This record gives sequence, structure tokens and C-alpha cells, in this order.
Amino acid sequence: MRLVTSDGELIQRAATGDRSAFEDLYHRYARPVFGLALRRLGDRGRAEDAVQETFASIWRSAGSYKPDRGPGAPWLYAVARNAIVDRARARNEIPSEIPDEPTPDSGPGDRAEQSWVAWRVHRALEELPEREREVLALAYWSGLSQSEVSEFLGIPLGTVKTRTRAALAKLSEILGDDIE
Amino acid sequence: MSRFEDVIDAQGLAPDEEARLRRVHDLLEQAGPPPDLPPALEHPPSAPVEDEAEIVQFPLLPRRRWPIFAVAAAAAAVLVFGGGYLTGNGKRKAPSFETTRVVPMRGHGALAFLRVAPPDSAGNTPMQLEVNNLPTQPRKTDYYELWLTRDGKAIAPCGSFRVNERTTTVRLSVPYDFRRFEGWVVTTQTATHHTPGPVILST
Repeated sequence: MRLVTSDGELIQRAATGDRSAFEDLYHRYARPVFGLALRRLGDRGRAEDAVQETFASIWRSAGSYKPDRGPGAPWLYAVARNAIVDRARARNEIPSEIPDEPTPDSGPGDRAEQSWVAWRVHRALEELPEREREVLALAYWSGLSQSEVSEFLGIPLGTVKTRTRAALAKLSEILGDDIE
Repeated sequence: MSRFEDVIDAQGLAPDEEARLRRVHDLLEQAGPPPDLPPALEHPPSAPVEDEAEIVQFPLLPRRRWPIFAVAAAAAAVLVFGGGYLTGNGKRKAPSFETTRVVPMRGHGALAFLRVAPPDSAGNTPMQLEVNNLPTQPRKTDYYELWLTRDGKAIAPCGSFRVNERTTTVRLSVPYDFRRFEGWVVTTQTATHHTPGPVILST
């Protein structure tokens, strides 16, 4: 059973001025927001600005979140998208729709779907312990075999397997309905 | 791309549990690696409160109230972006390095990851090399050199470094167009020979 406070609860608490709740939201979503901004704006400096503006926007408009209309993640996603679009408009530029790898020819619908998936997965990764996140990063995005991960981290192969399985199980729980 | 079977030992898993883990596996593949947070988002911003207040706008609030909330929001943002985030994540955190791709290198019982960042406006590409288990140099004047390769040969030098720990991380920057090359190698070098020495790591 997960005892982690839901995004929706944190948003509601932030709306009352609860700074620690806002900090928790930042911890969970800074990286997903940055990833989304980077994809949309195609520039790291502007993406950084968009992250700052997103969280300023979350702080000031948290009271507009209505839990009966859905969970917090989609609301946060919408706030982030708006901040990113505003960032682009502020400079009289059209948001650069950088195609999401590895399907550069996908249409807007596919890109939106991929952005949403990345958003949810990256946010879920933030809840994993560092040691489990590290094992997943090496296994999935560095091209190492389990034996090489074991060698690289200096831990037994069995521990790598255990951590990997535990990490996927936790992600499964965190992602919940998204994986159905 | 990883195969599920290469990452997870599915023995003993119930079919429905295996199906859920497979779905998570697919989502991880689809999402790709999360970006490294730039230092500006990990440390307190240097922008003064007044500057923050100018940025903040309040389309959701009555206009007469926005200055009050702007100052409050800016102050909160400074506090939150400041110590709060780092305090909550102050355990073990690798230094941030913006990465567009990670290139593993292997050889002689050693492993390395070469993280490649986007090129800057001048055409320099920052890279961060993390090496693990590379033997320390026998002499004080010996060193390692990273090279780009073409036709299996070390062609373009990318930087020199020494190791003195089990894991060593160095940052380098090169002005090359990587499309003209096929991979990287690390060679051992001595003070008297600056042409490519024996290869100890390769992609």
C-alpha cells in the first residue's frame, strides 16, 4: 500500500499556502515539466524559464483545481503546457514542436500522447529510491546488460535483478490506471 | 532498446503481474530518459524578489488584488526554489549535466559512460565522461586520452585525463561534428608519445 500523498492533495494544500506541499510538488514535477518544456521549446534556457513560470503559476492558481473533476497530474500537465505556450508567445515565437524521439514523423496526436506518457513516467520515477532509479537508468537508457550494471555499480547481480523488479513493481503501482 | 526478458527475471511471477511489469517496461522504453535538471533549477535562483514580481501575472484574480499576490507568490517561489527543494533531496545526488545521449564504453574490465550535451552556439559540444574501474596510471606523467574514431582509428583528440579513484568523472568539450565519426575510444598515453596509444576502452 502506498502512503504517498496524492498530487491532488498536495495541490489543495498548496492552495491554502502550505509551502511544504508546494515543495513536494516541485520535487515530483520539476523534471517532468522541464522535459516537456524542452520538447516543446527546443531550448534549455527557455525551458528553464518555463519551469519557473509553471511553478509560479501552480502556486497562484492551485485554488482553481477541483478534485472532483479528476486527479492532479492532468491539471498540472495543463498548467505546464499553458506556461510553456505562454513562454513561446511572450517572445513572439511559435512553439517549436520538436518531434518526440524515436518517431519523428508522428502526428500531433501521437506527439501529445508521447508527451503525456513521458510526463507520467518521469513523474513516477521521481518517487523511486535513488538506488532503484539508478538501476533502471543503466538498464534502459545506457544499453548495459544486467551483468554490466552489476559490475558498474559494484553490487551483486542478484541485487540488480531484485532492485530492477522492485522498481518496476513500484512504478506499476504509482502509474496505476495508466498501465491498464 | 531493452528486451523485457533481459531486464526482468520473470520466473515465479503470476501472469497478471508479469503483464503489468511488461506494460511498465514498454512505458519506460516509450518515455525515454528523463532530462537532467540544470543547475538553475536545483539551486536557489539569484533573481531578486522584485524581478520575480514583475514576471508574475494573475489572470485568475481580480486586477486590484494581483500586486499583493504577486509579492506573496514571488516570495514563496524564492523560498521554494531555494532551500526547500534541495533540503528534500539532499541525500545522494549526481551533479547535473544536460545530456542528449549516453554512450557506454567498455574494455579491460572497465566501464565508462560518455554523456553528450547539446552543442553551444559556438559549436562546442560539452561532454562528461564517467569512468569506472580504469587502472591508475603507473607513472605520474601517464594519462588517458579520449578520441573520436573513423575507420577504426583514433582520429580526433577529445581530451586528456587521469584517474585516481575507482570512479572518475571529467568534463570535456570538443568542436567536432560527430556525424563525421563512428565512435569513441580511450587510449593510454605516456608523456613522450602523443599519438594514439593502446586502446583500453571503446564504444
